[in-house]
Amino acid sequence: MRKVLLLGLMLFLVSAVAFAQSRVITGTVTSTEDGMGVPGATVLVKGTTIGTATDIDGKYSISVPAGSNVLVFTFVGLTTQEVTIGSRTTIDVVMESDLTALSEVIVTGYGTQPKREVTGAVSSVKGEAIQNLPLQSFDRALQGRAAGVQVRSSNGLPGGAVNIRIRGVGSINAGNEPLFIVDGVQLNNQSNAAFTQSNPLAFLNPNDIESMEILKDAASAAIYGSQAANGVVIITTKKGKQGKARFEFNAFAGETQPMKYLDVLGGSEWYNMRKEAYINSNQTIPEARTLSNMGILPSNWQSLSAEELDAIGQGLQTYDWQREVMGPGRLQNYELSVSGGDDKTTFFLSGSYNYQESSFQPVDFERGTVRVSLQHQANSKLNIETNVNLSTFQQNIPFAVSGSFLGSPAFSASAILPHNAIYNEDGTFNTAIGGVLGQNVVLVNEYNSGLQRTNTVVGNIIGNYKILDNLTFRSLFGIDYRLLQGDSYRDPRTPDGAGVRGRSSQQQDWRTRFITTQTLNWNKSYNGVHNLSALLGFEFLSETREGIDGAGIGFPTFQFRTIQSAATPESLSGFWTGYRRVGFFGSVNYDYKKKYLATVTARYDGSSRFGENNRYGLFPSIRVGWSLVEEEFLKSSSVVSELKLRASYGLTGNDQIGNFAARGLYGGAGNYSGNAGIRPSSLANLNLGWETNNTLNFGLDYGFFGNRITGSLDVFDRRTKDLLLDQPILWTNGFSDIANNVGELQNRGIELEISTVNIDRGGFRWNSSFNFSVIDNQVISLYDGLEFLPANPGIAVGQPVGRFGEGAVFTQEYAGVNPANGRPMWYDINRNITYLPLAADRIYSGSSLSTHFGGLNNTFTYKGFELTAFFVYEYGARIFDGQYSFLRENGTRLTLNALREVNERSWREPGQVTDIPRNLTTNGGNFPRNASRNTGSANLLKADFIRLSQLTVGYTFNPTLVSKIGLSRARIYVQGLNLWTYTDYPGYDPEFTGAGTGQIPLTKNYTVGVQIGF
Amino acid sequence: MKFINKAVLSIALAGSFLLGSCESALQVDPRQSIDANGALTTPDAVDAALNSVYARLRPTSNYGRNLLAMADALADVGQTTSNSGRLIGENNNQPNVHFPAATWQNSYFAINEANLIIDGLGDVQGASEAQLARWEGESKFLRALYYFDLVKVYSYMPTAIYQPGIIDEGGIPLVTEGIITSEAAFSRQTPRATINAVYDQIYADLEDAKRLLTSRGVQYGSGAAASALLSRVALYRGDWAKAVSESSLALDSSVGVVLSGDAYVSGWRAPVNPESMFEVRFALAEESIGVNESLQSSYTALLNLDNKNQQGGWGDFIPNATVRGFFGLSQLQIGEPASDNNNWDVTRNDDVRAQLYTTGNTVRGAGRQIECTKFMSKSGFAYGDNVPVVRKSEMHLNRAEANYHLGNEGAALAELNAFKGLRGVEEVDLAGEALLEEILLERFKEFAFEGHRFFDLKRYGRPIVKTTPNVRVEFDDFRILPPIPQREVDGNSNLNQNRGY
Repeated sequence: MRKVLLLGLMLFLVSAVAFAQSRVITGTVTSTEDGMGVPGATVLVKGTTIGTATDIDGKYSISVPAGSNVLVFTFVGLTTQEVTIGSRTTIDVVMESDLTALSEVIVTGYGTQPKREVTGAVSSVKGEAIQNLPLQSFDRALQGRAAGVQVRSSNGLPGGAVNIRIRGVGSINAGNEPLFIVDGVQLNNQSNAAFTQSNPLAFLNPNDIESMEILKDAASAAIYGSQAANGVVIITTKKGKQGKARFEFNAFAGETQPMKYLDVLGGSEWYNMRKEAYINSNQTIPEARTLSNMGILPSNWQSLSAEELDAIGQGLQTYDWQREVMGPGRLQNYELSVSGGDDKTTFFLSGSYNYQESSFQPVDFERGTVRVSLQHQANSKLNIETNVNLSTFQQNIPFAVSGSFLGSPAFSASAILPHNAIYNEDGTFNTAIGGVLGQNVVLVNEYNSGLQRTNTVVGNIIGNYKILDNLTFRSLFGIDYRLLQGDSYRDPRTPDGAGVRGRSSQQQDWRTRFITTQTLNWNKSYNGVHNLSALLGFEFLSETREGIDGAGIGFPTFQFRTIQSAATPESLSGFWTGYRRVGFFGSVNYDYKKKYLATVTARYDGSSRFGENNRYGLFPSIRVGWSLVEEEFLKSSSVVSELKLRASYGLTGNDQIGNFAARGLYGGAGNYSGNAGIRPSSLANLNLGWETNNTLNFGLDYGFFGNRITGSLDVFDRRTKDLLLDQPILWTNGFSDIANNVGELQNRGIELEISTVNIDRGGFRWNSSFNFSVIDNQVISLYDGLEFLPANPGIAVGQPVGRFGEGAVFTQEYAGVNPANGRPMWYDINRNITYLPLAADRIYSGSSLSTHFGGLNNTFTYKGFELTAFFVYEYGARIFDGQYSFLRENGTRLTLNALREVNERSWREPGQVTDIPRNLTTNGGNFPRNASRNTGSANLLKADFIRLSQLTVGYTFNPTLVSKIGLSRARIYVQGLNLWTYTDYPGYDPEFTGAGTGQIPLTKNYTVGVQIGF
Repeated sequence: MKFINKAVLSIALAGSFLLGSCESALQVDPRQSIDANGALTTPDAVDAALNSVYARLRPTSNYGRNLLAMADALADVGQTTSNSGRLIGENNNQPNVHFPAATWQNSYFAINEANLIIDGLGDVQGASEAQLARWEGESKFLRALYYFDLVKVYSYMPTAIYQPGIIDEGGIPLVTEGIITSEAAFSRQTPRATINAVYDQIYADLEDAKRLLTSRGVQYGSGAAASALLSRVALYRGDWAKAVSESSLALDSSVGVVLSGDAYVSGWRAPVNPESMFEVRFALAEESIGVNESLQSSYTALLNLDNKNQQGGWGDFIPNATVRGFFGLSQLQIGEPASDNNNWDVTRNDDVRAQLYTTGNTVRGAGRQIECTKFMSKSGFAYGDNVPVVRKSEMHLNRAEANYHLGNEGAALAELNAFKGLRGVEEVDLAGEALLEEILLERFKEFAFEGHRFFDLKRYGRPIVKTTPNVRVEFDDFRILPPIPQREVDGNSNLNQNRGY
């Protein structure tokens, strides 16, 4: 992007060339980065307005008037160089990468701005930073890259959901997703896949991204009005560059591996654990009962002695179900791009193929993309542009995304009783599985099948028309089209398919989004000190979504797997929904000598989702900045190279609710005896409007020692008012809730970004960048003076909400095990010990939203070698992990396997201080008149971690060397993701969202890659 | 280039055109719902709305499972197998494991829908008198049924109210006006009515239903079904005379038949049990509760009775020794090899009801237990069974029990013995307490796995005693009542929680 922008600047400068008597200097400008010529670099004669720009190969020729002896070479992203001419006529310049990004131009709402002049809180992540990471969607790659942006994978499904929270959680019931914009097209990133998670953002090959800008404060985002409450992520894709066609081939391949296998009991260990529980419960014949639990009690058991029975238990083998269904997977990625063009037309074409398997076969992700970007300068006034992203990806589905399904390998593998053989001696599947998990998940996994496919087109056509030199009209038309297809087959040979003789379920879901944006841009400079620019715009967006789904049962044999072979249609359904938005917006930018900066914006937005009385809202903002380095007292400072104070205040809205949430409706439901039914589905709220984010932001951008140290510091107070809250209705009144604008939520925080060049000597360079964020989230008020939400007391005044707005952890505090008798205890509300805690004893214990998080990147480069080590960290989240909770029961309630560390900690003798109760078999494994062992906070976990998210070692061959075999660039690298995690988390992995039960955990990824340019 | 300029011009024009029409641009109407205002003004809409009230009987929370299997699990009818881990907590009478919030929620939603129909009858365009009578009668029948189910679950019975020294929690919130506006939904905070007031309301609704309805099939409310239900309501209330008169009315009606001998057993094998006076219809495969929570799956691991080796449901809840003893059930190998589940059955005594039990299978480690087979996919699709709410046979037992309390021991004994004859059981000659015990025992046998026992114990204030698992829940134990959903208590300052929660 920046190079494209530079081309415009270059044209401007070329026209400013003055002709005078002079000598001619020629030369080539190359960059240290790749040794290639730098096209479009500016060459200026110092002290004059004489200048030129380098051509496609980085060559230039400039006439230098007599008396001038210094040339200035500038290019965005490279360090400006001044060269004394002396007597030379040829001057070749090698430009180095700029140490920092402060001189860059970044994309803001409906335009661009030099980073120096940005007065809002905007983080920028360059495409290079996330290049070649084996991740399916770019949102995942944002983890730890920008302060204030908290990213968490929902699970380890390749192409699965990613949870992004910019500056905390601003809504309880409306969405908390930021607005994603790709090339001016506002995306809908809602996933509607029925059979797995298909992250809509995975349509884009992350390597096609030039840059991502994250608008964090409301003032920066307010130009996007009612869409911007949760921040805005603007993605700019790669564009063509003038010059002869440049090809780049990029490939990597490798392996995914499970990060962890849970350490569960073996066959005889489980037998002994259970036998002990029977003895503890004073049950007779504990050996026989245990063997019966395991489904292996011999039919002649009554004729066997306790010792003989015990010998059976002690002789049991152990089968490792986890290693049977989990293991390494393959991953590979190939792509080829070509860019080039002449002075009128530039192009960028790319195609890519990506494949990745999860640690659970056959769950995978396979994507092909094609991208076309064309720009054409039709005449001096008109520039037309198009960007088209075509993409299809398909995923082999898991048994379930989450949940305690018996057939789900992700759930059962660690919990199935370990004495069960996976295969019979003849190699067939063992179907006589003892214990509550009575399904052979390996068989189930082998026989079931299903595929989820996502086809996406995101594209635009843009016309830029220069009405006057300083007035441009821009017209953008874009579409975001998505087709989701899915099928899932429950094989009749599996337990879940047996009863119905096979079930095929189908999904088809179309989403079409149309957007148009019309803008006028104007700018003018008065006396060279007052710089004014303005933007005026109109936007219209329409979205419709339509789908059908159905299921059929009764298949002749398992070979028949498509729905037309079903004997009985089991269900058939469909839906239509849609909404529209219109928006008018404008902004005015003013600066005085780039020293005092101010921006005012406003947007007037209407949405069909809101109540009839309240469809339109106004979203104003103001930003001001004071660039201290432009002041005389700092201009000559050798220490301070950048210093800017910023302040901003703005309003943004959130309309992420159901399309018809404001309407009182009767919907079709409740068929009876073969006749159709209708029932009330929602209550009307004519006054329903958007929820408003008011953010006050103070920031500081700094740079020291020639920008060897740069960064920014922001403090903010984000208040969400008129929350779109599903206000509970008493069930006795016939409804569950109604969408209403009540309540207030606050996110306060501090964000720090710091980038340093630690060492830059003798070709060795060590760069670091670090970011750190603190979020303090709390509910400020609800309605009717309520201290907590009746239906959901976790939502309480003064308490934080969770990552999905789901409420704080509100439960009874666990007090460990009574050392005298092994009974689990809790604190009642008066801090007394109780065995039977009540609802009234619940207290607040944090939420699933991390309070501290960030990332640390270190890059070492030396003569073509580079080493990147990138860490991410999170602290402060409190979560329940369903998988761990089941295993923590230690087989007492259900005949499930148990974690070794849990079993070892279970209470065995008076005086023992532990947190795991005595093993029992009666009362579902609980003491009589005692709450069950997982009650309250007994199984509440801390989800803190520090992770080596990325480790890359690469080598770039010397350009002059590879040019001999016709290459312009060659780089090889090895890379590892998630290689190391520091945590004391007892489950698979602390990074997930949701219940945690039966979810596929994240993987380690190892890749080897090559990049070749020619 | 001129062409392109024109293209740009037309784009600009298109943009400004959109600008001008944005008011209408924001009008998007749903296509699969209708506005709640005036939704119920046509006969077809009222018919459809009424269907929904019936359909709410179907979920797991109500007759799909809980009102039968969960109630019996709480009582002393059976034991659990851990095959899927379901119903264990209920069977153990674990604190807080009881009827779930969904039973309350779904029932009150149904009541609101019925109220809305009743409230709106005056606005229906072009309805005949017969239609109006049917809608009102069926709505009230359903409202009475939902209230009865709620009050028997969440409150003590009028015949046995535990309240020494503590506040009487009362009945349940009684609402008879439909809510469709947000204002009313926000403001109404209904307290628990007295138990008596709830029963009065049920009486009134059922009397109206009796007056207004004829029968249009046992899947719909009818006058006879209203009498039959009223007979049970009266029995639970200790209104013995009413129980006698309504039982007689129901028995005299043409709705349902009382079966005997093999016909009784084959009645359970028919899609519509001829004994049903009112049953919940499961008509389509998509209405099946499915492999995990359906009644069939809860009670048996069999898919059908033709081939016991086929993999079916879970068989989570099976008869205990008491019930096995009623019918002389023990496992019996009837062929070779023993590994074939079809070579197994049970021994049985003369009681025809013993035919409703057999051995299950060993698929998925179910361990071949003796199981109840009252629900066997009779609707023609997997795990789909119509669920009898009132069977005509119950009328005899209701009347016998009520007559006993009225002092008509002779009539009670005669009716009991006649009933025993229908089931192939020997007559008894008992009087006094022993007679009552025998009537209740007969009720236990007749309705095992149909969700009566828990409430029969409760209305006599008796403890729940079982040996597998070893549980004794005294009548004064708070676990007799379930918790009212906490959200309802938190959101309604007028609503008392049940004791112990």
